Amino acid sequence: MATLSKSDRLVTDNPPSDSESDDSRDDEGWKDVEEDEEETPEVISLLDDRVFPDVISMLAHCKEKHNFDFLAVRQKLQLDFHGCVKLVNFNFFCVHLTPLRQKPMLSANIPSVRQRVHEGLPVSENISLANIDDDAYLKPVLDDDAVIIGLFDLPELSVPGAIQPGQDGDNAALVNDLLKRNTELQEQLASVMLQHENYRAAVSKTLDARWGETGADDNAKIADDAAGKGKAKDGADEKEDESKYYWESYAGVDIHETMLKDTVRTDAYRDFIYNNKHLFAGKTVLDIGCGTGMYYFILRLPSLASPPITNNFKGILSMFCARAGAARVIAVDASDIILKARENIYRAGLVDTITTLHGKMEEVTLPVDQVDIIVSEWMGYCLLFEAMLPSVLYARDKYLAPGGLMVPSHTNMWVAPVSDPVWVSENGETFWADVYGFDMSAMAKGIYDEVRVLHWPGDKVCGTSSAFKMLDLYTTSAADLSFTAPYVSKLSQDVDALDGFLIWFDTFFSPTAPSAGQNKELDKHGVPDDAIATEWILDSHGKRDQDRVAFTTGPFGGAETHWKQGLLLCDPHLGEKKEGEKSKEDDGNATETKTQQKKKDEEVRGEITFSVAEDNARALVIKATWDAGKTQQSWALR
Amino acid sequence: MLKDEVRTRSYMNAIVQNKHLFKDKVVLDVGCGTAILSMFAVKAGAKHVIGVDMSTIIFKAKEIVKVNRMEDKITLIQGKMEEIELPFPKVDIIISEWMGYFLLYESMLDTVLYARDKYLEKDGLIFPDKATIFVCGIEDGDYKDEKIGCKCHKPVFNANTCSQHLVWDNVYGFDYSPLKETALSEPLVDTVEVKAAVTDPASVITLDLYTCTTADLAFSIPFSLKCRRDDFVHALVAWFDIDFTACHKPIRFSTGPHTKYTHWKQTVFYIKEVLTVQQDEEITCNLVVKPNEKNRRDLDIEIDYKLETQDPNRQANGSCTYKMC
Repeated sequence: MATLSKSDRLVTDNPPSDSESDDSRDDEGWKDVEEDEEETPEVISLLDDRVFPDVISMLAHCKEKHNFDFLAVRQKLQLDFHGCVKLVNFNFFCVHLTPLRQKPMLSANIPSVRQRVHEGLPVSENISLANIDDDAYLKPVLDDDAVIIGLFDLPELSVPGAIQPGQDGDNAALVNDLLKRNTELQEQLASVMLQHENYRAAVSKTLDARWGETGADDNAKIADDAAGKGKAKDGADEKEDESKYYWESYAGVDIHETMLKDTVRTDAYRDFIYNNKHLFAGKTVLDIGCGTGMYYFILRLPSLASPPITNNFKGILSMFCARAGAARVIAVDASDIILKARENIYRAGLVDTITTLHGKMEEVTLPVDQVDIIVSEWMGYCLLFEAMLPSVLYARDKYLAPGGLMVPSHTNMWVAPVSDPVWVSENGETFWADVYGFDMSAMAKGIYDEVRVLHWPGDKVCGTSSAFKMLDLYTTSAADLSFTAPYVSKLSQDVDALDGFLIWFDTFFSPTAPSAGQNKELDKHGVPDDAIATEWILDSHGKRDQDRVAFTTGPFGGAETHWKQGLLLCDPHLGEKKEGEKSKEDDGNATETKTQQKKKDEEVRGEITFSVAEDNARALVIKATWDAGKTQQSWALR
Repeated sequence: MLKDEVRTRSYMNAIVQNKHLFKDKVVLDVGCGTAILSMFAVKAGAKHVIGVDMSTIIFKAKEIVKVNRMEDKITLIQGKMEEIELPFPKVDIIISEWMGYFLLYESMLDTVLYARDKYLEKDGLIFPDKATIFVCGIEDGDYKDEKIGCKCHKPVFNANTCSQHLVWDNVYGFDYSPLKETALSEPLVDTVEVKAAVTDPASVITLDLYTCTTADLAFSIPFSLKCRRDDFVHALVAWFDIDFTACHKPIRFSTGPHTKYTHWKQTVFYIKEVLTVQQDEEITCNLVVKPNEKNRRDLDIEIDYKLETQDPNRQANGSCTYKMC
């Protein structure tokens, strides 16, 4: 039987991975430089922590020690393979997991089973089909693949009154069909397990690599990031190289926070790609900067601030595309990270579909003249800070076929006024003016000059949100990324002072590429200039439209993302400084610079300007004007 | 540091209330940061204070010192304690806020000890001079629910420690659950409610800063936890107390679950199994802490636990390893 031989191979090929298994990889043109782990295939007992070389002996142990006869239960409940998997996982849930790891819906039966195990009572009589009738038990619980794979080795289930093929003429065809289907399903399962096994190997190897070779440098960096203690630490070497700096800047993000918040992003890409498989089937896809999208995976891993491991989960967007049926995916990334992505792609068995190119988008030579789809996760803080968008636009102009698809297709930037006197008093200059009797105002220097990236509570936004810049990625040019755009917001409450402005963006994935001559208005998936992510994804009846995917990085209700929001804190002395200048103006209001109070329903309007800093091409300068253009302030993001 | 009221106020009281100790003394502030401790020392009458810090925060500190008109009393030096030269051959007092999470994680204690050996006068004083690690057993119960909101300081990948991380089981269709087994557990830095404590706290180790050496920062110490009530134990939680014994009226602050919040919070070590304990039973434990051999900044931690009871079904005996990195 095909499945058996496959699972056999899994077991025999993967033993304490010595050089032999490496060689087999080399045969396929893969040079594995890191493989050095020692891993013994282990079958952990269903009912305690003992470990066995194979499933049969483990089950014998369970029968002898705990009076739990797996085979008898299987026979009694007439469990098929999936049933057995559930039974195995049910036991793991019951026995191995602390309550913390149980989902509430699964936990109902558990205390009694665990109790019985602890009391040395047989548990088998407790288990009914109802107990394990939950697909959740199909999900692996522990490091239990060995057990589940071993299930293939169990003797055939004897089916009482089973109809044998050929026994009855009418049934024979049906039975043959069923048996054939069964074999197919088992093959599929084995193949999935093989993939899982590959991932598992990759993951454990990654960890070994991490613990085996943590460079002092990386750790120094983590240390510097940690806690912001501002203490004497062995400083990480300053990296001159720009791309290295780019990755380091990612490492500075509070990694755990990021972990919890990044699902929004990757979910959006995944949902769009998987919900629109028809768009990807047979197509050629370009994945630009394949590194960053994988950040999601990185964050599922422990302590991954350091690039060596961070890099090890690159290529997810490419892999999504390949799974969605793309004929070919070309992944381009300038950093060495792509070498790691290559490994992941190999591990996922997608090496035939995904081609990785190491180099700058502007410099690499693609193996094709045109691509049908460009996928990229290029967005930065305040959308455009250190964003890869120029590379994406370059690739679009050079490679995207007419009628080709941009993923995502649109982004929209938003601004809203904020007011939170408490926050300002605890974080602004007043806090630093008197710290235990000392004047520490020096610490407050720059707080009005720099964009602060943080999560701002939605209820501290004091006016309506204003969409100020829609980027249609089919038409945007690099020149559009420096711009001045008007905004207007109506205050939703009286405020003593405008404390600042909050900036965020929405990202849209439209499944329809604009075709030449088509009226944009008629496009069912068109993205209007004031589109709001959370509303755009709904159909005309207010229901979620599965074709549409969009997410917001804004402060209202949506899950938090690692982009957070950008806060532009208004300098309360702005009026004072400008007083002389302003009094020259005729407008009477301008002299009342001290009074910053504003009433509900008052409009705040002005312009937002995005530009590149003169002294630092990497830095972004955001300028805002308000009070009808009479007040203006600039902030840098660097 | 400045926003941690407990910490800053304790240091302030220890220094400013002991003018008799600081008057006309030369003081070294190890890892001075914004120089607030240095300024406290000047306020307490120090003849001169030397603040040392690796970080560029020292430039802010210089501005601050100047604004507060103490630049003639405070010398700020950027650099590694091991590499710089002090303007005084010896100092009378060392002040430092060196403690890290779990006291020792990324702490600057070794730098303080180096400064002590090299610069501190015989009979000189150290503020603070004592640090004690405590451990108790906690029941998890509602705690895990709190974790779903996840205030964890650090990435936690062992699903045991945070229900948020059940994700391991299914990451976009790829099962990463093996990580749960492969990975060493990482302790969780978070606040624990005192009512979660099932056992009395045990004092595990006290570091006397006058006498301890860097070798003492790796240790293996047995202790036992006496259960206060019938309950379950899901985890051990550790914290530390800090003493300024040189003060006229000794000053102490604690980072435990029973007292005011500090930024150190507590450190939670989940154990593999759930212990079912009865009142007055004892869990005997052993705590091993040592810097990681490959990277001295990381801490390797091992906790052995053993519950011996009349009831064989409740007996438990295990060992867990953790890594803070």
